[in-house]
Amino acid sequence: MPTSRVSRRTLLRTAAATTALVAVPRLLRAQPKTIKVGAIHPVTGPLAEVGQLQRISAQLAVDATNAAGGIKSMAGARLELLTGDSESKAEVARTVTERLVNDGAAVIMGGFHSGHIMAMVPVAQQRRVPFIIDIGAADVITRNVAQSVKEGKQKTQYVYRIFPSTSTFGARAVQHMTGVFKETKVSPKRVVVMYTNDAFGKPQSESFVSAVKAASPGFDIVEVIPYPEDAKDLSTEVSRVKALKPDILSPITRPATAILLFQELTRQRVDLMGVVSPGAPGMTQPRQLEILKEHLEFVMASVPWPNVKSPRTQRVGAEYSKRTSGKSMDETSFSYDAIQVIADVLERARSTDPDALVEAIRKTNFNDPIMVSAGPIRFDEVGENVSATTAMVQILKNKPLVVWPRDAAQAPPVFPRPRV
Amino acid sequence: MDPTLIGQALLNGILFGGVYSLMAVGLSLIFGVMRVVNFAHGDMMVWGMYLALVLAERARLDPYLGFVLCAGLLFLLGAVVQRVLVDRVVDSAHEMQILLMLGVALVLENTALVIFGPDPQRVASPLTTATIWLGPLFVDVARLTTFVVAIALTIALYLFLARTRPGQMIRAAADNTYGALVVGVNVPRVYMVAFGIGAACVGAAGALVSAFLPFQPASGLSASVTSFNIVIIGGMGSLLGAFCGGLAVSIAESLGAVFLSPSLKELVSFSLLVLILLFRPAGLFGRRTP
Repeated sequence: MPTSRVSRRTLLRTAAATTALVAVPRLLRAQPKTIKVGAIHPVTGPLAEVGQLQRISAQLAVDATNAAGGIKSMAGARLELLTGDSESKAEVARTVTERLVNDGAAVIMGGFHSGHIMAMVPVAQQRRVPFIIDIGAADVITRNVAQSVKEGKQKTQYVYRIFPSTSTFGARAVQHMTGVFKETKVSPKRVVVMYTNDAFGKPQSESFVSAVKAASPGFDIVEVIPYPEDAKDLSTEVSRVKALKPDILSPITRPATAILLFQELTRQRVDLMGVVSPGAPGMTQPRQLEILKEHLEFVMASVPWPNVKSPRTQRVGAEYSKRTSGKSMDETSFSYDAIQVIADVLERARSTDPDALVEAIRKTNFNDPIMVSAGPIRFDEVGENVSATTAMVQILKNKPLVVWPRDAAQAPPVFPRPRV
Repeated sequence: MDPTLIGQALLNGILFGGVYSLMAVGLSLIFGVMRVVNFAHGDMMVWGMYLALVLAERARLDPYLGFVLCAGLLFLLGAVVQRVLVDRVVDSAHEMQILLMLGVALVLENTALVIFGPDPQRVASPLTTATIWLGPLFVDVARLTTFVVAIALTIALYLFLARTRPGQMIRAAADNTYGALVVGVNVPRVYMVAFGIGAACVGAAGALVSAFLPFQPASGLSASVTSFNIVIIGGMGSLLGAFCGGLAVSIAESLGAVFLSPSLKELVSFSLLVLILLFRPAGLFGRRTP
């Protein structure tokens, strides 16, 4: 009978639809949904080592968030890290970002090389995906986006940074130096700046020089000496430093040139009150300490550093050490804070809608960073973390210890360095 | 300008020039004999440095002794690369040779990256921070030792080529390949040995500087470029040219760091290159090819 056949089908269809309608929300409730976070880091290529540590730090924070119950305001939604490898190349950073956005990343984080970040920013802006920069200092990254939003070329700013910007590095270095000199009751006068002449060293030295000019802290920069990034020999440069008779040498190095420089300072017996770097890699990394040993003793560097005095940072540090076969945390732990901020933003936004997320990012007031911070993480109108700061780290008995600011200090600063 | 500073720069330039010379001598020999530009030269140098590191860390062998072993191992590497790869393109167009050697460079660099990681390294040696003071001037003992050994090796190579029978065969193959074949020289073997010696020179140079020059897998390219620059200034294929070119470039860079900004010191050496190419295209000691 034709009528009964049709009605049976209709019945089945209705039944199936009803079951589905009733069952699906239950399934959703039973299985918290996952929120995908894209993490783009240079995991292979010349920057591989840092990139891998950044990825581990981010994963650590994702695991901690999930273990603590996920995003509670979104029914315990779990974070899932979608990892991307920029291969230490800007153009790959861009395509990988595109791919992760296509794969459903609601937020992206990552970076390291400012050039790579510049290639990722347009993707975040065009595809309307909030982007939290964990490491990457060039001022222009956020400034350009803020500018074009201000001029009305783009509607919303999706790019925010928790890492200190280049100008922050300069200003904080001068603050810390002034603090240390006051604490030790010494007033050095003549500072010579040396920098590796590349996209990192030049702006970093300029920011330091202009911060010194702006603060007039009682010391002057008598000479700025750039040297090539791939220098094979710095003996003549160091002879020049020696001839200038400075109280302080402020070097902005890369790890390789730091080795050349510090050997040469010892060899030529340059008489200094101390070496104080306004922030550069090469003085605080374990391998550098191992290679340079006594040449680095009493050297100070104003660098991003974990707040090792905080018990929570220590706990994270222990876990980090386990996953990295014994490494201790460094600036790559900013990736941990980036994920913490993302979790906090999601918690408050209660949604993965990009504009709701941006709204929540702007209202961020995150109290619990594991890095040394000048207060809770908050973003200004340019997208910079206003509390981003560095710590003055001094090498004492071949160990990097925070000596300034006072509340994060593990040891008092030793300045001027004792004469041998 | 402070005369002490200038004197010091001159001294530093001369001492570091020995290393430049040894690097360039190896490259020049290879080019002179088989007209192949070894684009993997710098990466072979980096391998010399890593071998010195391994010898120092595993066998506690000071790089100033270990360089002999490094040179030997690099000789083998060079000979194998020549026999297996370069030999196939000796008669091919230059672009084929360049592509092949760039490929070898990439493989060498990335193998080092896989094995040793991207961190800069340095070999520990007691000589690293030893200095002798001559009044206001100081002489760095590590650089002085390197300079002396580099000069000795260059002289030894010169004597080998000038006085010994295998040396004569190499020169014969370089001067006139067919003539050498006619009188019974085993030219393929000569090529293999010459390439090996070239690689050994740069391997020794690498080991000798490994105590004061930090290195990482990516350091090869800049070493290659420096070597080419020197060889072109000195004259392609001329050993004396490579030797003097190395000293000239090093002194020019060192003085450039005093009179100009240090980051412009490479400008000085490359300006020297441009001047040489303009006014003496065959290089200081080069012969014009007929």
